[in-house]
Amino acid sequence: MPMVELPPQIEDETAVFPAGARPHPALAERLSAIKAVVSRDIDEFHAYKAVIGNLVAQELQVRYQRSMLGFLWTLVNPALMMGTQALVFSRLFRGMGDMGPWQYTIFLFSGAMPWTFLSTSITDSTTSLIHNEGLIRKIYVPKWIFPLARVLIQGITFMLSMAALFFMLWPLGATISTSLFALPLAFILLGIFTMGLGLAAATIHTFFRDFGHFLNVGLQAWYFLTPIIYKADFLPAEERWKFWLNPAYPFVRLFQTIIQEARWPELWLFGVATLIATATFAFGYAIFKSQEQKIVFRL
Amino acid sequence: MSTLEQTRIDSGHPARNPAIAVSRPISNTEFNSQHNIDLDDNVVCLKNISLKFISYKDTHPSLKQAVLNLILRRKSPAQDNSFWALRDISLNIRKGERVALIGNNGAGKSTLLKVIARIYEPSQGEITIHGRVAPMIEMGAGFHPELTGQRNIMLNGALMGMSAATMKMKSPAIWNWTGLGEFAELPLKYYSSGMFQRLAFAIATEVEPEILLVDESLNAGDATFVEKAKARILEVFDRAKAVIIVSHDLSIVRELCDRVIWLERGQVIADGPTQEVVDRYIARVHQQATGH
Repeated sequence: MPMVELPPQIEDETAVFPAGARPHPALAERLSAIKAVVSRDIDEFHAYKAVIGNLVAQELQVRYQRSMLGFLWTLVNPALMMGTQALVFSRLFRGMGDMGPWQYTIFLFSGAMPWTFLSTSITDSTTSLIHNEGLIRKIYVPKWIFPLARVLIQGITFMLSMAALFFMLWPLGATISTSLFALPLAFILLGIFTMGLGLAAATIHTFFRDFGHFLNVGLQAWYFLTPIIYKADFLPAEERWKFWLNPAYPFVRLFQTIIQEARWPELWLFGVATLIATATFAFGYAIFKSQEQKIVFRL
Repeated sequence: MSTLEQTRIDSGHPARNPAIAVSRPISNTEFNSQHNIDLDDNVVCLKNISLKFISYKDTHPSLKQAVLNLILRRKSPAQDNSFWALRDISLNIRKGERVALIGNNGAGKSTLLKVIARIYEPSQGEITIHGRVAPMIEMGAGFHPELTGQRNIMLNGALMGMSAATMKMKSPAIWNWTGLGEFAELPLKYYSSGMFQRLAFAIATEVEPEILLVDESLNAGDATFVEKAKARILEVFDRAKAVIIVSHDLSIVRELCDRVIWLERGQVIADGPTQEVVDRYIARVHQQATGH
C-alpha cells in the first residue's frame, strides 16, 4: 500500500459529499428494491428468532419472578379491572340497550380485552428502541425486533388473560360456540394492525420525544371514540356509519361478534379488517424502514 | 473527486447491497455456497465508505419545530451541523491479517469499527463481510441484570448468532474459565463488576468469532484476570480469520498486529506494515508536538 500525504482540510465538507444526490429511480427498480428490503428482513427474522424468543422469555420471567402470585397477576389484574368497569358502567348505562348487567359485562370484556392489548402494545413499542439503546449501540441487531418483542409479550398476556376471563364469565352466560374458532384469525389480524402502529410509534418517538406525551392522551380519546363501553346504537342509526371511520372499530367488532354475540363474523368484516391491518402494517413498516439507519444516531 | 462520483453507491438501500443483507446471520460457508462466491481471501471489503454524522444541536428535537419547519417550508436547521466522520475509505482485509487502527482522538477509528460491525450503516459506499463478526467494542452488550448468569450466556450467544444448542454446549467451558460456576443461577445484578467483566469476556471469546473487532477493552479486572485474559485473547486471535483492533497503545499494536491503518479526520493516511506506519505516525506526532 502506498503512503499518502496528509490531505488538506476540506473547507466545505457538504459540498464534496452532497447527501442524497442520486437520480430518481424508475418504478421497476423501486419495486425490486422494496422486494429486496422485505426479503432481507424475512431472512433476519429467521436468523434472529432465538433473540426474539429470549427477549420475550426474559421479559415474562423478570416481570413475575418476585411476586407471590406470579403469572396469576396477568389474569387477576384484568379480571379486577373488568369487574370494576362492569360495575360502574352497567350502572351508568342502565337505561341503554337490551343487555342485562351480566350480558353487559361480557360485552365490555369482549371489546376491552383486545383494546388493552392494542394500547399497551403501542405504548410499550413506543419506548422499546430507547430502552434498548445499550444493545443497539453496541452490537448489530435488526431494530424491529424490539417493537416486535413488545407486541408478542402483550399478545401472550392477552391470550392467557382472555382465556382465564372467559372461563370466569362462563357461569355468567358467556356462550361457548364454534365461533370461537374464529378467534385466532381475529387475533392475528389485530396483531398485524398493532404491529404496524407500534413500528410507526417507535420510530416517531425516537425522533420526537414529545410524541409519548401525546400518545397517552390520544389513546384515551381513541378508546372512548370506539364502541367498547357503549354499543354502536348509542348513536342514531343515520349517524352510525361514523364508527367505521375508526380503524380500530372493525377489530373490536370482530371480537364482540365472536365472544358476546357468539356467532361467526360476516365475511366482509374479516375483509375490512384484513385490508386495514395490511395497510396499517405497510404504513408503519415504511415509516420505520425509511428512518431505520438514522435511529442509532438519535438514541 | 471524479472517481468517487463514479463509484459511489448508495448503500443506504440494502436492496442494492445484497452482500450486507446476508453476511451476518448466515454462516460463512452457507453464504458462499448460496452466492457462489469465489473466496479470494478477503474477509472484509470496504469500497468508498463514507459516513455522515448528523450532530443535532438539540438532541431532542421537538414535534413543534418539525411541524413549523414543514409549514414554513424551511429546511431543518439540524441538517447544517452534519460532518463526515469517515470519508471515502476503501480497504480489503484478508484472511489471517491482524490489523490495528491508529490515529488521534476523533480520527474515526471506533466509527470505522462500528461500521464493520454493522452498528452504523455507511451513508455511502459498499461493505462486504464474509464471516461472523464478534464485536468486543463494549463488553457486556446485551446483558440483562435481572436474569441469571446462565440465561445471559444464552441471550448473548443468540445475539452473536449462535444457536441455543451450541451455547448450551459451550456454557460449561465458559463457567470453567471464569471460575464463577457457583454463581450461574444468580441474577447478574448481584455480580461484582470484576465478575461481570470476566463473564462478558469469556462469552465474547468463546463464541468462536471469525472476525474479531476489539476496541481497547482489556484494562479492568485484577492482575490474574489480565494475565489470563491476555493468554486467551491471543488464542482467539490465532483462531479468528481476521482481527481488527483499535488502540492507542503502540506497544500493543507492535506486539500483536502485522498491519496498521492510520486514520486522520476520517481518512486513511497510511496503510502498511506495522513498523513502517507506526514509525511514521510517531514522527508525525512528535513533529506536531514540537511544532515543526
